[in-house]
Amino acid sequence: MSTVETMKDRGAEPMKILPRGHAALKASLAVSALTFLASCARDAPQDTWQPAGPNAEQIDNLQRPVFYVAGVVGVIVLVAIGWAIWRYRDRGQAIPEQTHGKPVVEVVLTVIPALILLGVAIPTAGSIFKLAKTSDTEMTINVTGQQWWWEYDYPAVGPNAEQYGITAPIVTSGQLVIPENTKVLLRVTSRDVIHSYWIPKLNGKKDSVPGRVHLLRLEGAKPGIYAGQCTEFCGLSHSYMRMEAVVLSRADYNAWVANQLEAYTSPAAGTLAAEGEGVFIQQCSRCHQVNGLLNAVGEPIISAPDQYMVSGAAPNLTNLMTRNTFAGASWDLLTPECREDVWKSDSATFGAKYLNGVTTDCLNQKDLREWLRNAPGKKPMYANPENLAATGGKYRGMPALGLTEDQINSIVAYLLERK
Amino acid sequence: MITTSSKLFYGLGTLSFVGALVWVVAHDGSSLGSIALIFLAVSLLFLGGIASYVRDGHVLSTDTTAHASAPAAQSASGNSWWPLASALSLGMVVVGLISSPGIFKIGVALSIAMFGEWMITNWSDRASADATYNDKVRGWVVHPLEIPIGGALLLTVIVLSFSRIMLSVSTGAGPIIFGVVGTVVLVGGSLVSVRRGVSKTLVGGACAVALVALTGVGLATALNGERHELVEAAEYDHYAVHPCGEEAEEYDEEASRAVSAKSSVAATVIFKDGELYAEMDGFPDPLTSISLQRSYDLTILFRNESVGEHRMILNYGNVVEDLGGGVTRDSKLQACTALIGEGGEQAIIVRIPKPSSASPQSPYNIVVSGVEDSSIEVLVP
Ligand code: HEC
Ligand SMILES: [Cu+2]
Repeated sequence: MSTVETMKDRGAEPMKILPRGHAALKASLAVSALTFLASCARDAPQDTWQPAGPNAEQIDNLQRPVFYVAGVVGVIVLVAIGWAIWRYRDRGQAIPEQTHGKPVVEVVLTVIPALILLGVAIPTAGSIFKLAKTSDTEMTINVTGQQWWWEYDYPAVGPNAEQYGITAPIVTSGQLVIPENTKVLLRVTSRDVIHSYWIPKLNGKKDSVPGRVHLLRLEGAKPGIYAGQCTEFCGLSHSYMRMEAVVLSRADYNAWVANQLEAYTSPAAGTLAAEGEGVFIQQCSRCHQVNGLLNAVGEPIISAPDQYMVSGAAPNLTNLMTRNTFAGASWDLLTPECREDVWKSDSATFGAKYLNGVTTDCLNQKDLREWLRNAPGKKPMYANPENLAATGGKYRGMPALGLTEDQINSIVAYLLERK
Repeated sequence: MITTSSKLFYGLGTLSFVGALVWVVAHDGSSLGSIALIFLAVSLLFLGGIASYVRDGHVLSTDTTAHASAPAAQSASGNSWWPLASALSLGMVVVGLISSPGIFKIGVALSIAMFGEWMITNWSDRASADATYNDKVRGWVVHPLEIPIGGALLLTVIVLSFSRIMLSVSTGAGPIIFGVVGTVVLVGGSLVSVRRGVSKTLVGGACAVALVALTGVGLATALNGERHELVEAAEYDHYAVHPCGEEAEEYDEEASRAVSAKSSVAATVIFKDGELYAEMDGFPDPLTSISLQRSYDLTILFRNESVGEHRMILNYGNVVEDLGGGVTRDSKLQACTALIGEGGEQAIIVRIPKPSSASPQSPYNIVVSGVEDSSIEVLVP
């Protein structure tokens, strides 16, 4: 075998690789283009680049400059690597002399990044402290995660009671409702596994850990609805564990609180809803609390999720129809048109529309009925009574109750009045 | 070409393939077994192919130099203790099987480790024709595992022995022993580091003697048991919620002072100058009405800042038990701390199953024994 042949072989190799290289280039271009286009999505409710409150702005003011600097550095590095790869590719030349170290370059390349990192670290530390501040709290809400929904309870103590009229505990799920321009402090915890609470437009994330109470500031600058989702993998239906924060003007907030605290009214006798109340008491009230619901002898019915659920909790349905999503905020209680009307309205008209709740015309019958027919069929949950040995018979999620269509009709009518 | 070892692989491969067919016929519907068997067949046939291709790695019998220099022809670098160790570990498995699951598990773990070592040594002994290189190559493979695991085991022995000693000596002697041992280690270490000439054997010997002594004393004290106060305290169980009013002698007054690092305090209840109030994260001012979550393990810390001993009592409703035959028993749900002296504190963990609206007749609250006019209202939504 002669040297000439070897050289020719080597020369031929890049030629053969070239078409493949083109394919790879095209593929990577396509991926980059897609990624880039994805960033242009117009309907991006969980966009961290669109802060809607001072806490999120604090983070945004920090991450934007860092992102730009990192972007420029990234481009410079990539171009330099690309150029080096192309310029010094193997053309069969002799291997150059191997040397070690170039103190000037090493020092410069250490000092510049160190300075950049220092420049990032100082404002970062400042932001961390600002975001951890709790002494300026104006309202406090307990946020409790469990597989796979969030419970909010508004303690009827301290400033909540004195300044916001929360004179009795309010318990809701899925949608957190807060007054605008108010420094709300969430006490975030969990009843089972670790979850994480994140409304990207209002603040960063905070893990919810069983046994621990983590504090998270939240403040919305203007009325609107802000989406989020659990951001710590928490089991089977993690992807169905969503939530929203609803910001209302002070006047609307007062109206919301007053409505939440309104006494329970039974459906008018003889209506479908009255029939539904009966079915609800039979089938649902052992897990779901409806405040003020009385049994046949006039005693309040107290739900017992502690006996049926691993987490010991199930959503409070007293005012279900004042929220507009359900089951971990995964499905709408509003039809698509009505939802569009509420969610896309400007901040001046949003409050009134949100306070309307779910009306008969606007109820998304399909998803709610599917849920009542077979909840675990809609949202995967460990709710098959035959497979509960590991949890001593307790469910993680709502079981399928085998309701008849008549029962479902009456329950829907009953639930429609829960607002 | 069919060689000696490829024959074996081809045979096994064919057998697995036939097995897969039989499986499909026998278990109609279930395909998992047949998939596994087909994978096995493919892998075995593949190995057979390799054996054929390299002709079992045979060297021509006429090539005598290749014979002498072939890695397989080299003798092992030394006596191997792994077969003995493996046999002992296997013995431990057998002993464990008839005596205790713990010994069995340790035996299984040891067997895996010892057989692993044996296999790696066997391989490395003949990795190349160069004995020193073979020695090195074994180190590369096993040292990253052997050294940290060995170190961890050594540390465990030291920590366990030392802790047994500390648990058995009296509270007064503990700090003295701790101080003396610490000083000896510090001074010894400093001496060794300063006087560079000290022989390795001397230092090693001293360490070995110290280790044997420590383990010996540790073992002896472990057999002897913990000091009696600890035994009694363990029986009493400070962390359990005791029926309110039952009072045991306080062995270790600050035992439950520390809230475990895993949990936050839901509320700190303070009794000061005859007044009861609570502090809660997220509420800037002291509270006389607090809201606690339902179905949640709450850690409540009680701090007594008044003169005298006081007990915090949390009332959270009643339970009505059905005793059968139409007889029911109505009992109060309460959680209490022990009697806490001035300046002391204790945490209790309690899970409240029902909302406070469930018992309008006996509202949930926190009170202090013997003090009538001060209480904290408890709301559970
Ligand atoms: C064994 C306990 C149990 C029973 C009985 C039960 N549910 Fe549920 N239900 C749950 C749990 C748990 C959830 C939360 C599931 C999730 O979102 O992951 C839930 C969620 C819901 C939701 C969504 C609530 C929200 O705020 O997101 C509705 C509506 C609902 N259930 C209605 C009913 C009705 C009506 C009945 C009676 C026909 C019923 N449930 C019976 C446990 C139960
Ligand atoms: Cu989650």
